[in-house]
Amino acid sequence: MPERKLSAILRGLCENCIDFIVVGGVAAVLHGAPIQTYDLDVVYSRAPENIDRLLKFLGDVDAIFRTQPDRRLRPKASHLEGSGHLNLLTRFGPLDLLAHIGSDLTYNESLPRAVEMDVGEGLRVRVLDLETIIAIKEGLASEKDLAALPILRRTLRELNKDRDA
Amino acid sequence: MAVEPDSLVDYSEEGVDLTLIRWTLSMTPRERLEFLEDRINDILAIRERNAGT
Repeated sequence: MPERKLSAILRGLCENCIDFIVVGGVAAVLHGAPIQTYDLDVVYSRAPENIDRLLKFLGDVDAIFRTQPDRRLRPKASHLEGSGHLNLLTRFGPLDLLAHIGSDLTYNESLPRAVEMDVGEGLRVRVLDLETIIAIKEGLASEKDLAALPILRRTLRELNKDRDA
Repeated sequence: MAVEPDSLVDYSEEGVDLTLIRWTLSMTPRERLEFLEDRINDILAIRERNAGT
């Protein structure tokens, strides 16, 4: 089993010069929230050149749709150009590509709400800020999202205490 | 003097373990990612070993 699967996906996205922002559970972990998550959610730019780069990367990591893994359906440009969510499985594990997050926050609209983080080995990635993650989860109101909210709110409070100190 | 057990825990009113939050906040983002990956790898390895049971 390959180690460091999340890092491998992040490295591939960076090395292919793909414009993306880490959102969801991994973003919350990167901010310091002690939660467990298995998939990597990213919101991506739907600019044509970015979609080309993303398609190449998805081919390199053997990405297929998770919904029908037996059929091994591969994502196409038309899927990435759409406004939906692509739940994929790569050889480095699950990867969810989101054209937008929350009510309708695109990559460009999310940029001012993202911070850059050093995630090791020279990798710097954009990560959605914790305030926006909380606001989005409050809006989604699924059982899974609601369950994580107390931890995320507390982490933000502790983080702000550290910043004010 | 012995430390009372109650003073070794710190939970918010919603039951969130604040000691865990402070521990993760003491790490860098890189260390947080590595810890998450290690945990995932460990859990998947255990699941593989126990597949079918």
